[in-house]
Amino acid sequence: MTVARVGKEAPDFEATAYIPGKGFKNVKLSDYRGKWVVLCFYPGDFTFV
Amino acid sequence: MEVLSISTDSRFTHKIWNETELSKMVEGGIPFPMLSDQGGRIGTVYGVYDEEAGVDIRGRFLIDPDGVIQAMEVLTPPVGRNPDELIRQIQAYQHVRAAKGAEATPSGWTPGQPTLKPGPDLVGNVWKVWKP
Repeated sequence: MTVARVGKEAPDFEATAYIPGKGFKNVKLSDYRGKWVVLCFYPGDFTFV
Repeated sequence: MEVLSISTDSRFTHKIWNETELSKMVEGGIPFPMLSDQGGRIGTVYGVYDEEAGVDIRGRFLIDPDGVIQAMEVLTPPVGRNPDELIRQIQAYQHVRAAKGAEATPSGWTPGQPTLKPGPDLVGNVWKVWKP
């Protein structure tokens, strides 16, 4: 299994997504090649912090 | 700079959260894609999936235009992130990338401050150029 590490290529993935104003789409990380990306994981919608 | 948020919630939950709450906290609502990681498959690869809780914990990854992870930060649930520090790191990484390896940024560097030019001449002389 690929593991995310600094200095190494970010493991690619595809995910279903909600894009405000555009609806439901699939998003693939490698489609963002050529751009800076901030990928932000968080525990859950409607939580507090 | 593109932002992708991701949690184990479904895309349907993301839509309702944006419409009922986030759009009332941020004018116009969320401007970036909200990804769904149901089952934690992606979080597992990124080392942030908590199997017991069934959620992805707070993890942030800064990925450069070549697809390489340059920075990451992972926090346990009760403490939130500091966007100012994320922005500072983005500025610093963009600066050193533009300098093609000729410059490095010292601790706490912000745009406009002197950078370091690594090389033999800098050895023992950092104190002359970097005065925090």
